[in-house]
Amino acid sequence: MSAARVSLLRALLVLAALLPLPWRQAIAAQVDEIVLWHAYQGREEAGLEAAARTWTEQSGVRVKLVAIPFGAFASKVETAIPRGNGPDLFIAAHDSIGKWSAMGVVEPTPQLSADGLRPELMEAVRWGDQRWGLPLAYKSLVLLYDPTVIQTPPTTTDALIAEAHKYTGGGRYGLAYQASETYYHAPWAHAFGATPFDAEGRLVPLDSDAHVKAYAFTARIARDEGIVPQQPTYESVQRLYNEGNAVFVIAGPWFVSDVDRPIAAAPLPWVSDAGAPARPFLTVDVAYVAGQAQHPDEASAFTTWLAGPEGARIRQEQGGQAVSSALVPTDDPLLKTLEVQSKTALLMPMNPGLQGLWESEAKALRRVMRGAATPSQAAHEAALYWEVVSRPSPPAVSPWPYVVVMVAVLLGALGWLLAPLRDPDFRAKLRRHAWDYVWIGPATVAMVLLVLTPFVVGAGVAFFAHDQGEFTFIGLRHFTDILFARDWPLSSPLSFFYTLGVTLLWTVTNLIVHVGLGIALALILREPWIRMRAGWRAALILPWAVPNYITALIWRSMFHVQDGAINALITLVSGAKDPVQIDWFGSFVTSFGANLITNGWLGFPFMMVVTLGALQSIPRDLEEAAEVDGASWAFRFRHVVWPLLKPALLPAVILGSVWTFNAFNIIYLVSAGEPDGTTEILISEAYRWAFTRGNRYGYAAAYALIIFGVLLAYSRAANRLVGRKVL
Amino acid sequence: MATVRFQNLRKSYGDTHVLTGIDLVMEEGEYVVLVGPSGCGKSTMLRCIAGLEDISSGDLFIGDRRVNDVAPKDRNVAMVFQSYALYPHMTVRENMAFALKVAKRSAEEIRVAVDEAARMLDLGHLLDRRPSQLSGGQRQRVAMGRAIVRRPDVFLFDEPLSNLDASLRTHMRVELMTLHKQLGTTMVHVTHDQVEALTLADRLVVLNKGVIQQVGSPRELFDRPINTFVATFIGSPSMNLLPATGHGATSTVDGVEGTLDVPSDGAFTLGIRPTDFTVGEGPLEADLIVVESLGSEAMLHMDLGEHRIVARVDEPQSFQSGDKVRLRPNKVHRFSAATGERLP
Repeated sequence: MSAARVSLLRALLVLAALLPLPWRQAIAAQVDEIVLWHAYQGREEAGLEAAARTWTEQSGVRVKLVAIPFGAFASKVETAIPRGNGPDLFIAAHDSIGKWSAMGVVEPTPQLSADGLRPELMEAVRWGDQRWGLPLAYKSLVLLYDPTVIQTPPTTTDALIAEAHKYTGGGRYGLAYQASETYYHAPWAHAFGATPFDAEGRLVPLDSDAHVKAYAFTARIARDEGIVPQQPTYESVQRLYNEGNAVFVIAGPWFVSDVDRPIAAAPLPWVSDAGAPARPFLTVDVAYVAGQAQHPDEASAFTTWLAGPEGARIRQEQGGQAVSSALVPTDDPLLKTLEVQSKTALLMPMNPGLQGLWESEAKALRRVMRGAATPSQAAHEAALYWEVVSRPSPPAVSPWPYVVVMVAVLLGALGWLLAPLRDPDFRAKLRRHAWDYVWIGPATVAMVLLVLTPFVVGAGVAFFAHDQGEFTFIGLRHFTDILFARDWPLSSPLSFFYTLGVTLLWTVTNLIVHVGLGIALALILREPWIRMRAGWRAALILPWAVPNYITALIWRSMFHVQDGAINALITLVSGAKDPVQIDWFGSFVTSFGANLITNGWLGFPFMMVVTLGALQSIPRDLEEAAEVDGASWAFRFRHVVWPLLKPALLPAVILGSVWTFNAFNIIYLVSAGEPDGTTEILISEAYRWAFTRGNRYGYAAAYALIIFGVLLAYSRAANRLVGRKVL
Repeated sequence: MATVRFQNLRKSYGDTHVLTGIDLVMEEGEYVVLVGPSGCGKSTMLRCIAGLEDISSGDLFIGDRRVNDVAPKDRNVAMVFQSYALYPHMTVRENMAFALKVAKRSAEEIRVAVDEAARMLDLGHLLDRRPSQLSGGQRQRVAMGRAIVRRPDVFLFDEPLSNLDASLRTHMRVELMTLHKQLGTTMVHVTHDQVEALTLADRLVVLNKGVIQQVGSPRELFDRPINTFVATFIGSPSMNLLPATGHGATSTVDGVEGTLDVPSDGAFTLGIRPTDFTVGEGPLEADLIVVESLGSEAMLHMDLGEHRIVARVDEPQSFQSGDKVRLRPNKVHRFSAATGERLP
């Protein structure tokens, strides 16, 4: 072989090695790996891993498991998969099928064999005329109890209540569960007939008798009987059980792996008042073939195997799952209980757009639990609320008038911008600075991409109504709806002007707290008798340095009615015999106060730092001169220090007021708008419209645009006042 | 009007002693100047009178009242700061009216008092300006005016002239003297400038390292300095100090030829002011190094043996550096070589 040929061959080999991976795979016609996303943890994850290993041994295809945090899972698949960055398959609950099938997140899988799978669970993957993936396992709430205390679990709610009373008192609770959550209210509600849909598939009105009775029942069992702790969270229930301070718990199978004491399961009891069994929601874990999967055939093969008897057995034995396969019987008592419970359980509906329904019910439930409304009042309000949030989009209007106006405005703006070009002096100036424009070019491009474009898109969305992925042009309708308070009286927490009022109150009170505390601390820090000045200063800046959502979550837990540090402190200070139980989020004043305290804590360091800096620029002489001239402390502050601080503080105050106006984190994390959305501010209200009330993006965008307008007007006015030295 | 009396007053910051055992009486209507190098404690003394510094021990009286624990605002003293400390956000009129406004005087009373002070200080046309629109001298006068309107018991001046240029300073010195004559109030003035001290003071207090060195009229301090510190600090250029040895009726400067008619015994420090030489003849011979001409007169900087000395002459044109110059001291001061104290 000649030298030239050898080097040609070498070059070809190098090229072959450089070929992109998928291309080589196609040449090899051999898939050696598929990717699976899941949100399993602990034992379930171990079971899935074991199953994947077995499959790899049998088929030679490696299964790469990627665990994604549960809270981030839905948004992850919804953003990644439609853009082709998703896995080959993923495991998630069945109730998003309606939404995901429309978005192309999941692939229809009519070809997959359902042999041996329980037919009623196959209903969980049927949507439209199609089947989407295969059911793997199912979950529902069951009655868990402490077997060291209870030998025979009660089978009716009356018996449960009677039994629970025996073990309640002295920090101990007969029954612990998250009573204020709709998911936990559902078993009772369904027993009374308050299901989302009736037998014909029609929505059951939210103010039906069944709903009223169900609210009354939950209020009784979870509040009036005094056997259930107040405002429990998953963590507090878990803690109570682990401490031996809860005898009965209503929770799902996941709770079992989170406790470290003996625990036993029984089906939820017969609801004595309804004369029907409790019917919890049934959720089914489904293995979906992802949209745009790179290896759909291999993913389908693995899905079938994983759902089938062999995969099911591994998941059942090692993962502790209640599996969908009818071919692998179990003698595990928990799994047997789940199987019994699944017979009465109600399959979680898959219809998209039910978010608003859950929110309506949740509001009503919280009001009833708080005692702020009777069950029938609450049910009535829930129905009204649902009517508004579920209302079909406004009718489409012709975009042409808007297009004409917009073009005219754009042309006008362009003309206004270009008019100076007719001036030769201006042109000469432009030429002189030609390079300067080049230098600021990159920054301009970045600003256009990162600030201007999202703004324009966001503003544009405000003119469209969104419903299940479809946008309809409706012109200014959202703005008129909001500004003329079409749906609610002005005094309703849902009206724009109510929320605007709360937002203004929120901003003003916060600024008073921030500026007042900031100046006071800065003045104290400057006193000559302060020891360890640097240490104090650092400590006082600390609240600012901690990420504010962490602070907000800590404060929220401190305001808890039963376990919170604030109530404990009040108990201690007041010397009351019984623990003080202020329900901080139960009334507007206390809830607003809790938000204010949290944001006050977060905001004063900034004003303190600005004040410290400004104070340094005020010569000490001035105050001494005033002191010698006979001025008291207050007079010196009012007439000497304050006038000189003001110019430095004003920009900080304007900045601070804009931040506070939009302090989403605090409202969302501390009061979450409680009670009944009364402490919501504009920005968090906009969020609710976009994400918890049926994805009304257009309405939310209109809100955001109005907020922008308010702030723009405010900052213009403030600047003018500062410029004229009015402030 | 009031006396100011210090009784064994001490001021320290931790282990740092700023003032140690001050005993002093400032009489009613007296113009007292506190003078000394930086860090000698003179400003601290002034701030103690104002009440801006706490007193560590000892007593301070203004009039008959012990004021150790009296707040500044209740002492009825007025202070002019080195920086003038004018309130930048107020007009001249508001600045001057400040203390009266604090005292809740009527608007009419305030107007009359401010106009009166403005007339005395020739500030009438500036009353509506802000401090930033004034020259240094004008600001200084406003600061004065602010003190005057109050009719205080004691005026305190903390280096009030040091931010002015030389000619303005001379002018303001005269104004201060005039003011003192018109008002007749006790005034305490702190400066490090001994010329200012000598011109203004009824009585001078020389401080060094927190200790009063000498108290007296400018003449007394100039003619009979109590120790070498006062001797060198008062008078410009400084007094020449030379190590010398006495031989009964005569003395010699160490390492220098020539006998002086100064009766003394043993080692001592010989002090001669530059103005107290006869130049051109005499027992001492020095090498002329530099002629510092001041117009009508000149300072001759010379080496006398190993010692650098200065003498003043009236006809500078007859001297050139490199010349040998003969000298006769006309008036001498004698100080202890060991302690620096004046010898009788």
